[in-house]
Amino acid sequence: MGQRSISRIIAALLLGSVILSVTKAQAPGSPEPEVSYSKKGADTCLTCHGVPAVHAIFRTKHAVPSDPHSPFGLGQLQCEACHGPGGAHASRVRRGQERPPVIKFGSDEETPVRSQNAMCLGCHDADISFGWHGGSHDNGDVACADCHNIHAPRDAVLQISTQPEVCFDCHQLQRSETLKAFSHPFFEDKMACAECHSPHGESTTSQFVRQTLNDTCFECHAEKRGPYLWEHAPVSEDCGLCHAPHGSNHPGMLTSRAPLLCQSCHSQSGHPSIAQDADGLSTGVPSQYLLGQSCLNCHEQVHGSNHPSGSKLMR
Amino acid sequence: MNASKVPNIVSIVALVVSATMASVAHSQVVDTSEWACNFCPFESGQRSDFSVGVSTVSDSSAYFGDATGYSEEGAYANVDGSGSYTNDGHRLNWQIEDLGLDSRYAELSGALQGTFGYNVAFRQIPQHRFFTTESIFRQSVANSLSLPAGWVRAPDTSGFTELNTSLARTNIESDRTMLEVGGRYMPSSRFRFSVNYRRHERDGLDIYGGSYFTQSSLLPGTFDYVTDVVDFGIRYSGNNGSVSLRYYMSDFDNSDARLEWENPFTSSPGAETAALARPPDNSFQQLSLSGRYRFTQYHAVAAFSAALGRMEQDESFLPYTTNANLTVSQLPRSSLDAQIDTINLATTLTAKLFDGARIKLAYRYNERDNRTAQDIWTRVIADSFVSGESETNIPYSFERSTLNLSGHYDLFDTVRVSGGYDRKTIDRDFQEVAEQTEDSGWGSLRWRPYKALQVNFKAGASERDIDRYNEAFAATLGQNPLMRKYNLAYRYRRFGELTIAAALGEAPISLTINALYADDDYTQSQLGITAADDLRVTADMSWALSDNSSVYVSGGYENMESEQFGSELFAFPDWRASNNDRFYTAGTGFNVRQIGGKFDLRMDYTRSDGTSEIDVASAAGGLSRFPNLESTLDYLRVRLSYHRSNRLEFLINLRYQRFKATDWALAGVEAGTIPVVLTLGADPYDDEILIFGLGVRYRMGVPATAQSE
Repeated sequence: MGQRSISRIIAALLLGSVILSVTKAQAPGSPEPEVSYSKKGADTCLTCHGVPAVHAIFRTKHAVPSDPHSPFGLGQLQCEACHGPGGAHASRVRRGQERPPVIKFGSDEETPVRSQNAMCLGCHDADISFGWHGGSHDNGDVACADCHNIHAPRDAVLQISTQPEVCFDCHQLQRSETLKAFSHPFFEDKMACAECHSPHGESTTSQFVRQTLNDTCFECHAEKRGPYLWEHAPVSEDCGLCHAPHGSNHPGMLTSRAPLLCQSCHSQSGHPSIAQDADGLSTGVPSQYLLGQSCLNCHEQVHGSNHPSGSKLMR
Repeated sequence: MNASKVPNIVSIVALVVSATMASVAHSQVVDTSEWACNFCPFESGQRSDFSVGVSTVSDSSAYFGDATGYSEEGAYANVDGSGSYTNDGHRLNWQIEDLGLDSRYAELSGALQGTFGYNVAFRQIPQHRFFTTESIFRQSVANSLSLPAGWVRAPDTSGFTELNTSLARTNIESDRTMLEVGGRYMPSSRFRFSVNYRRHERDGLDIYGGSYFTQSSLLPGTFDYVTDVVDFGIRYSGNNGSVSLRYYMSDFDNSDARLEWENPFTSSPGAETAALARPPDNSFQQLSLSGRYRFTQYHAVAAFSAALGRMEQDESFLPYTTNANLTVSQLPRSSLDAQIDTINLATTLTAKLFDGARIKLAYRYNERDNRTAQDIWTRVIADSFVSGESETNIPYSFERSTLNLSGHYDLFDTVRVSGGYDRKTIDRDFQEVAEQTEDSGWGSLRWRPYKALQVNFKAGASERDIDRYNEAFAATLGQNPLMRKYNLAYRYRRFGELTIAAALGEAPISLTINALYADDDYTQSQLGITAADDLRVTADMSWALSDNSSVYVSGGYENMESEQFGSELFAFPDWRASNNDRFYTAGTGFNVRQIGGKFDLRMDYTRSDGTSEIDVASAAGGLSRFPNLESTLDYLRVRLSYHRSNRLEFLINLRYQRFKATDWALAGVEAGTIPVVLTLGADPYDDEILIFGLGVRYRMGVPATAQSE
C-alpha cells in the first residue's frame, strides 16, 4: 500500500472521528427496555449450578447477607448482581434452541471485557484507586476476572505467596527476570508485585504505589532516602539508573558490574578513568579496582554520605 | 458468510446486548421478595486447616537460605494454616505460613462487613549473603571494630603476619521483620476512613568498605534500622466520583550514628582508627488529595492527584576526622538541617469519543526542591591529612514533567489500532545538563481474528535531547569534557514489542509468546556509554489435559549489550569496553489431581543460566577478555499428597536446588590476596541442597460430605 493511500486513510479516519464526535449524542429520554430476572434469584441458579466451585463464593465477602452492599445482602440481586439478568437463561428452552447466556467472566469469554468490568466497577469503582480508567490494564482489556477469582475463598492474587504467579501469567518477561541470580524474593514466595506496583492503576509512572520510583523503594529502603550532606546525583533522581529491581545477573541487582558501571559516568583523571582489564584478576596482579567490592572497596557511601569529610563518598 | 457461524454471532450479540441491558437493568426495580436463598450455603462458624510437618535440609547454604529460612543443615519443624470464623456478618480470617522458619508470616483480619475492618500482620524475611566470609575484626563495643590482640600492622596485606591465625568465620546475614496494623471504618456508604501503621525492622551484619586513601578494609559492620510508616486516609464517594485525602509519614531511625574501626595497615600517626557515618535518621511526610469524576457524555473520566511532601534530616555531624593530630577548621554547622520539598501532580482525562474510539490525555509533574543550605567544608582525606581544598555541598533538585496523549480505535471487530505521544522534560540544578526533553511516539496494532488468537505488535521511537552539556561545569567536577553521563546524554531509542496469544484447536492448550527489543544510540557521546540494546523473548505453553491434570512448559531468553568508552590520558577515547549479559530460563511441570480419587501429584522444574561477558580493549593493553561471569540454577520440586479423607491429608515434599556461580571478583580472592585491600574472602556461590519433608494437613469445620477445594 502506497504512502499516499495510507495518508488518505488516516485523513479519512480523522475526519470521520471529528464528524462522529461532534454529531454523536445520547438520545434524550429514551425509555429503558425491561429485562427479566430469575424468579427466585440464587435459588434458581443453584438448582443447576450447585457445585462446590460455585458454593465457594458463600465463604467470601461477596456473600454476607447482613451487609446491605453485598450481592447477597437484603434486597440485592444475588448471583444476578454480577452475572446479569438470568430470567431468559433460566427459562424453558425449546429443543434445538441455544440457552440464552448470562455474563461470564474472563478475557476468553464471549462477554466483552468492558461489559464484564462494568459489573465489578458498579460496586468497586471507588475502591480501585484513581488510575484505572485509561491505565495499562484498562487499555489492554484486562478483565477483573483475569486476576481475581471471586468464587474462591482465598483469592490467589490477594496472597503474597501466590500473587506473583497470577501476574506472571501475562508478565512473562518480568517472570524471566525474577529468575536471575539476584532478585527480590519473588521466587521464594516472600514478596508480591503489589508491594511496588498498583495493578488497578495509578497516575504514577509504571503504576508505582507511591508518587515516584524512589519513593516506592524508600518504603523498605528508607536508609537510602537521606537527605544527605553529600548526595550522589543519580541516586537522588532515580534508583533505576543503577539497579534492575526485577532481577539481574549482578550482585545488588546492579545493571552492570563495577567498575564499568561507575566508569560510564566518571572520567576524572587518575584511577576513575583507567581501563581495568583481566590482568587485575586474582590470577594476575590483583587489583583493588576490580576485585572484592571494586569501587565500593573505598567509596562505600555510594548512596550518599552525611560525614563532613564524605564528599568523595568514602566516609 | 458461513451459515454455521450465524448462531455464534447471534450468541455474541445476545451477550453484548445482555451485558448492556445489565447495566441498564440495574436501574430497574426488581421484586426480590421471593428470593429467599434457601439453597445458599452461607458460612457460619469456624473453618480452618492446619498442616504440620518436618523437613530435613541436606546442607547449609546462604544462597538458598536467603528469604526461605532453610539456611542451615538439619531438621526443621513447620506449621502452616488458615481459617475463618463467621457469625452474623462478623468475619475473622487468619493465616500462618512457615511459622517454624525465620521466614514466617502471620495475619489476622476481621470485619463487620460494610461497617469496619481491621488487620494485623507480621512478616519476617531472613537475608543471608555469605557463609564463607572471615574477618579479623572483633566487636566488643557496639559499632566499634577492633583488631585482635597481637595484630601486626603492615603497609600491605603481604605483611600481615597474624592474618591466618586471626581470621574467624563471620557470616554476613540479617533479618527483616515487618509488623502491620490497619483498620478502616465506613460510617456510611459514602465515607471511608482508613489508617495503617507499618514497622520495618532490619538488623544484622553487612559489608562496608573502610578506606584509608590508598588502602581499605572490608568491614563486617552491624546495623539496626527501624522505619515507622503511618498512612491515614479519608474518602468520600459521590454518585459520579470520589475524592480522597491522605496523610503519609515515614520515619527512619538508625540506632548507630557511626561505624568505627581500627586500621590494620600501617598508618600516619593518629589515623589508627577511623569512622564512617551511618545513614542518618530521617523522616518524610506527605499530604495528598486525589479525586475522580465521571461525566455522562463521552463516558469521560477525569482524575487528579496532588501531593505535597517534605523530607527532613538533622542528625548531628561526626567530626571532620578521628585523627587528633590534624588541625581542622570548625564545622560550619553542627548538623545538616536538611529539607527537601516535593510536589507531585497528576491529572488524566479519558473519554470514549464514539464507539470503538478512546483517548487519554495525562499530565504528570514531579518536583524535588532541595532547600538544604550550602556551606563550605574542609575535607580530611581518609583521616590521614587535610585536603587543603574547600568544597561546597550540592543540594540536587529537579523538576520532571510528562505529557501523554494516547488513543485507540477499533478499526474492525478484529483489529484495533493505537497510538501515543509522550513529551517528558527534566530541569535539573547543579548538573551538567540543565534542561532535557524526550519526545516519544509509538503505534500498535492488535489483531484478534477469532477468540483463540490475538496478536499485538507495538513499535516506537524516542529522542532525548538536551539544551547543552555544560562542559565547564563538568570540569569543576574534574570530568573529561568529552564525558556524557548516560542519563544526561542525547539518546535515540527504538523499540518494538510483539505478543502472540493462542489457544490451539479444540484442545485446551494455550500458547503465549512475548518478544521485546530496544536499541539505544548515544550518538553525541564520545566517552561513557555509546550504545545499548536489549532483546527479550519468552514462550509459555500450558495444556489442561483434563479437569484434574495440566502440564506447562516455559522458556525465556534475554540478551543485553552495551558499549562504553573511556580515556586514560584525559583526552580522546583510548579504551573501549563491551558488556554482554545473556540469560536463559526454562521450566516445565505438571499437576495431576485425584489420582485414584486419593492422590495429588505436582512437579515443577526450573533451570536458569546467566552469562556476562566483559571485554576491554585499550591502546595500552590491547584486547582483554574477562572470564565469563556465570550463574546456573536448577530447581526441582515435587509434592505428593494423599487424601485420607475430606479432612485428613498426608503430604510429601521434595525440593532439590543447585546454584553455582563463577565470579572473578570473588574467585581466588582470599583475605590477603589484594595487596591494599583486606577482604572478607567470600567465595562464589556453589550450593546444592536437598530438602525432604513430611507433613499432615487437617481440616476442621468442614462438613463430612463436602468435597475438597
